[in-house]
Amino acid sequence: MKWDSAKILRAFGPFGAFALVWACFGVLESWLQGTPFVKAAIFSGEAVVNIIQNTAVVGVAAIGMTLIIVAAGIDLSVGSAISFCSVVAAKVIAAGGAPHFVIMAALGTGLACGLLNGLLIVFARLIPFITTLGTLLVLRGLSLGLADSQPINVQEAAWLRWWLLPPASGFALLPPGGWLMLSLAALTVLVLHYTVFGRHVFAVGSNESTARLCGVAVDRVKLEVYAIAGVLSGAAGLMLCSFQGQGDPTGAEGYELDVIAAVVIGGASLSGGVGSVFGSMIGALIMTVIRTGCTLNGVSLGATKVVTGTIIVAAVLADRIRQRSARS
Amino acid sequence: MTLKPRPILRGLFAVLIAAALGCSGEALKPVIGVIPKGATHVFWKSVEAGALKAAGEFGVEVVWTAPRREDDRSQQMGLVDTLVLRKVNAICLAPLDSIALREKAEKATQAGIPVVIFDSPLAKPEGVCVGYVGTDNYAAGKLGAQGLARSLGGKGRILLLRYQAGSASTEAREQGFLDGIKGFAGIEVVSDNQYGGATVASALEKAKSLLLRFSGDRTPDGVFCPNQSTTYGMLQALQQKDLAGKVKFIGFDPTASLIESLRKGDLTGIVSQDPFRMGYLAVKVATDKLAARDVAAVTDTGCAYVTAENVNNAEIQAVIQPQLGN
Repeated sequence: MKWDSAKILRAFGPFGAFALVWACFGVLESWLQGTPFVKAAIFSGEAVVNIIQNTAVVGVAAIGMTLIIVAAGIDLSVGSAISFCSVVAAKVIAAGGAPHFVIMAALGTGLACGLLNGLLIVFARLIPFITTLGTLLVLRGLSLGLADSQPINVQEAAWLRWWLLPPASGFALLPPGGWLMLSLAALTVLVLHYTVFGRHVFAVGSNESTARLCGVAVDRVKLEVYAIAGVLSGAAGLMLCSFQGQGDPTGAEGYELDVIAAVVIGGASLSGGVGSVFGSMIGALIMTVIRTGCTLNGVSLGATKVVTGTIIVAAVLADRIRQRSARS
Repeated sequence: MTLKPRPILRGLFAVLIAAALGCSGEALKPVIGVIPKGATHVFWKSVEAGALKAAGEFGVEVVWTAPRREDDRSQQMGLVDTLVLRKVNAICLAPLDSIALREKAEKATQAGIPVVIFDSPLAKPEGVCVGYVGTDNYAAGKLGAQGLARSLGGKGRILLLRYQAGSASTEAREQGFLDGIKGFAGIEVVSDNQYGGATVASALEKAKSLLLRFSGDRTPDGVFCPNQSTTYGMLQALQQKDLAGKVKFIGFDPTASLIESLRKGDLTGIVSQDPFRMGYLAVKVATDKLAARDVAAVTDTGCAYVTAENVNNAEIQAVIQPQLGN
């Protein structure tokens, strides 16, 4: 029955790491500030809301990035796409657009960004790393140009802000956007594991030539993966708008690294074929918990980065050991 | 076999503890969270030094919490949330955005945590903060105007290279400069509608086109720039046209290399803010508020006019030295 426990550990490994990191900060807080462990601020409802608010953008984008990385691709342009979609959404709001129109505009812009990456990678046969490095700059430029380099204020769009406000009743636990993020993640898990498309994504990522020989429409799968990820970066753009109350042409800069880190902490392999949407959510949450916990305990900015970096490397190392033990 | 990852996690725990050891606080002192706009600029290092000096003097603990990037508004908003969660006694905040950060200041105020705004103001600050501590930018611009007019002997043709549309602090400096220069009948402003933009490169490009437009016998007698990047750009443009030292040139916000140019004579004067005093006074206002003393709605942290003649004076050195990075 050893096999079973290994399987369980693999499935809940990321969650265990998350619980451990969270608990560590509780211990740290009770030690440094003398609050009893169970009453530590990091476990409070307000902290949970804060953590969700600060994870939503990266978390939603990480769902799409997981698909891309499982399919052995990469998307460095995701931060720029998020910013661009937030600017488009804010522009539409500023022009008096109705909510459903704003959502369609943001998701549609995200889809266009994803298709641009996908088409370049599939039909022009360009390496994803280089392609998306290029679109990173192009989309950032479009974002700055469209917004005239200034953030566009949409503080008054109550329906949009509602997504990342604390829930109206404590019963709901998380802001609505938190539930949306988890639902999108759950839906993606279902798609990945219970549809033909999902199995094809894994097949393409594990071994592209074998997948092609087995009759998988590799190009189509890749294009679809980038398109879905694009729509999700549109959703992340809406989240950014919702939290910040602005469409921000300089926002989400450098988020591609956070998103990729979340996916990797969650157990994905950058060589493709391996990855878990559930794990990526945990990865995104771990990074926010570290940031929040460090601030709560007055840990310096430098130490915060050291801790985050250590956890990323440790996660990859743990994954490597797990793979090695699975092979032997 | 499945136990293998455990030592790694144990190592992780050790890192967390080690990280925390460097910063254990005393629970009895009031805690004041200070959030600058960024951590890397020398300017913010001086603010931090001032804040820490005030912390020592007034018996409070300062928690310095900087956003990772100087333009990540979302992250700065998250930092305010976290300090509210931590139940600090007061917050000093240099908002990256006058509108986006307003609602976070409001949230903290509603949670009973007084908020002192420093460096840049909030839009509609009434009721969401206890006061503003910063440079009176209009007065700083006027100071620059007086310096330029004096160096020109009260007559000549001058240029203003603006910074960026929508930047409240530099627009106030530009307005202060223009209003100050109006007091000198002999001085004519030949151009005041050009913007240098966000970077030194864009400012350099704009400065070069301006000097091309006003060249030969139309060469200006004096130039004013309202911030560091426009000052750098204009300085390089003047040097490339071999005009440095010939045209009277007043810049803003000293760095080690700008002070060097000042000593060489390429710059006539530099208006300097006082970031050390800004950090000190922000914490002082927060402490006063916690002690239920009256605080002013606006506290001017002052500025200095630095020239080659006075750069070695003790009082000028006290203002600029923390900004030069050594």
